Amino acid sequence: MGEIAEVLIIGAGASGAVAAKHLAEAGVKVVCLEQGRHVASTEFYGDKPEWELMSQRLWHPNPNVRGLATDYPIDTSESDVNPLMFAGVGGSTLIYAAHWQRFKPSDFRVKSLDGVADDWPFTYQDLEPFYDHMDVEMGVSGLAGDPAYPPMTPPPLPPLPIGKIGRLAAKGMNDLGWHWWPAPQAIPSRAYRGRSQCARRGTCMQGCPEQAKASTDLTHWPDAIANGAQLITGARVREITVNAQGLASGAIWIDRDGVEHHQQAEKVIVCANGVGTPRLLLLSGGDRFANGLGNSSGLVGRNLMMHPYAATVGYFDEPLDSWLGPAGQAIHSMQFYETDKSRGFVRGAKWNAMPTGGPLGMRSAYGGAPLEEAWGENLHRATQKRFGHSFEWGIIAEDLPDPENRVVLDDSLTDTDGIPGPKIIYRNSENTEKLIAFHLERQREAMEAAGAKSISTTTLMRDCGWHLMGTCRMGKDPETSVLDQWGTSHDVPNLHVLDGSTFVTSSGFNPTATICAIALRSVMHMLETRADQRVAS
Amino acid sequence: MSTLSATQRASLDAIADVLIPAALGMPCFTGAGDVAAMVDHVMALRPELTEGLKQALDRVGEGEDAAAAAERLNQEDPGGLATIGLVASSAYYMMPEVRRIMGYRGQEQRPATAEEENDWMRDDLLQPVIDRGPIYRDTDGV
Ligand SMILES: Cc1cc2nc3c(=O)[nH]c(=O)nc-3n(C[C@H](O)[C@H](O)[C@H](O)COP(=O)(O)OP(=O)(O)OC[C@H]3O[C@@H](n4cnc5c(N)ncnc54)[C@H](O)[C@@H]3O)c2cc1C
Ligand code: SF4
Repeated sequence: MGEIAEVLIIGAGASGAVAAKHLAEAGVKVVCLEQGRHVASTEFYGDKPEWELMSQRLWHPNPNVRGLATDYPIDTSESDVNPLMFAGVGGSTLIYAAHWQRFKPSDFRVKSLDGVADDWPFTYQDLEPFYDHMDVEMGVSGLAGDPAYPPMTPPPLPPLPIGKIGRLAAKGMNDLGWHWWPAPQAIPSRAYRGRSQCARRGTCMQGCPEQAKASTDLTHWPDAIANGAQLITGARVREITVNAQGLASGAIWIDRDGVEHHQQAEKVIVCANGVGTPRLLLLSGGDRFANGLGNSSGLVGRNLMMHPYAATVGYFDEPLDSWLGPAGQAIHSMQFYETDKSRGFVRGAKWNAMPTGGPLGMRSAYGGAPLEEAWGENLHRATQKRFGHSFEWGIIAEDLPDPENRVVLDDSLTDTDGIPGPKIIYRNSENTEKLIAFHLERQREAMEAAGAKSISTTTLMRDCGWHLMGTCRMGKDPETSVLDQWGTSHDVPNLHVLDGSTFVTSSGFNPTATICAIALRSVMHMLETRADQRVAS
Repeated sequence: MSTLSATQRASLDAIADVLIPAALGMPCFTGAGDVAAMVDHVMALRPELTEGLKQALDRVGEGEDAAAAAERLNQEDPGGLATIGLVASSAYYMMPEVRRIMGYRGQEQRPATAEEENDWMRDDLLQPVIDRGPIYRDTDGV
């Protein structure tokens, strides 16, 4: 049975790590249960010749492709987009690209400004000090003064060089009079707090072999553990338990020998990400909460947002060393970020200029196409055209919340412990389709202005659900939201959610800076109000 | 450790040379060095490919013209042909000789040098963006 934890955290990814570190530093007795394991940086293939080969399987971001026992399978048969993630200490930050983007003030006021979706229960200004704090904890490299944002505290490190691809992309944008800026990244341009300077291997999305990138196994877990947090790996949570008073009392978890345990806790924080958290809440609650725990609104699992991703690749004559990292983004643009209703849709997207990787590319996807198209002399021609001579403008398209886009429990899929897996139901809206079409047209212009000799576009990449948001939305009204502004369940006062599930809207930005800032804000509030909270005894 | 029979290996070499011929300054598959050892290495790292690879290779008739066999496989068993292509191209692009010709040292360690720092500033590249001023929507009072 073990001791009763003051706070039980489920999931050791971005939000779980931030919560664990700050609670443990404040002297709270924390236990964290994580289904994955600790991954050593030597296990990553980025510094080995086999990098591309292994990125197609073992280090693929889609858990259905990896098929590891630490993952759970996901039914995506009714989804336009595959959700992507990683299970382990550090969670999906082990393989994220570390674009470290704040939302803009308008992102928190979508209903008031554009008449769609909802406003957030707090503002950009409320979150700003926590963004600042997270920049320092992660070691963000970037340049203050971006005119796409209000003035902000400079990040602790200068930007990484934007490189040949960044300069080329920027010249094109300058010709058109469009916005760009050196991109903020949670990747250190100089050695920082025990992490190395980025070696620009460009393999960030298959794990950083240099211990440079800010994944929370490096940035947060060592401090959390040094301050007494207990991190149990290989611990798959099957259910959050509830006591007679209707309070969360802990969780049942299964170890790697198949043995079940009950970790008791005064308070439970779920940080299992935008798919794992609703899955777990829907699995919990027993007879008393037959719809799932914290689900009186019926919105647990609903309003899933995943940022459908489209991209434009430009091919150039000059050598661009376009396998050089970071893999994420050299420069970004918010030229078409804010709503302009004359375009026929609302909201917008951030663009990121990215390298295009190694020589192997997507060779496996060519089966069935006319042989001479993909192979023979054309193989060499295509490789010479792309490899080292191209870059990508990507589009992080804001998808609006739609209750029909959702996470439900699957009737047949289970993980290796026999626990039902999630099913994703997700369709692109007309607004998203128009948004993507508009942005792709503008990107073509940007590529032409940059001097591309030829251009190709991807209208929707299926394996693009990097960002999992909205499935336990925050709000003031318990009928239209699952959590209050602090991530506390409207139904169960000692149950909290701090991951991307909390988002009211998705913005057009990569979400992790905001996930972490929200987690920190909520934890600080939890500590300030510690004496007044209802806990399970 | 070799998991392919001699016949399978001969079929792989023949088809892979159709898929990856000598052209445009690049060697063909079998001209890239000890590709057999590299294929074994690929299969050791990606064991889930082995079965599909063998099945596809077993469909190649004895003495069948390699180009015709590749065409036929692509029609009849596109997944099988894709597996052959994946194994062959993975091995090929890991061959030191191929990488040398391409000028690719792998995902190399190349930390930024002092000269590269602030490259966003060079030639006043960023100045026009700064000069145009703020582009965010004001939410004061919203
Ligand atoms: C390839 C890729 C690239 C990305 N790039 C970027 C980027 O550039 N910028 C950006 O902002 N974001 C990026 N993201 C997204 C980013 O990784 C996530 O937003 C962030 O990690 C989410 O944090 P989280 O705490 O919500 O969940 P996660 O980090 O996903 O952590 C959740 C943890 O919970 C554990 N868990 C789940 N269920 C259970 C259970 N039942 N029992 C026990 N443990 C459980 C999981 O194993 C996992 O470790 C990327 C993601 C991927 C996959
Ligand atoms: S580019 Fe930098 S952060 Fe990315 S994997 Fe390489 S060293 Fe790590």
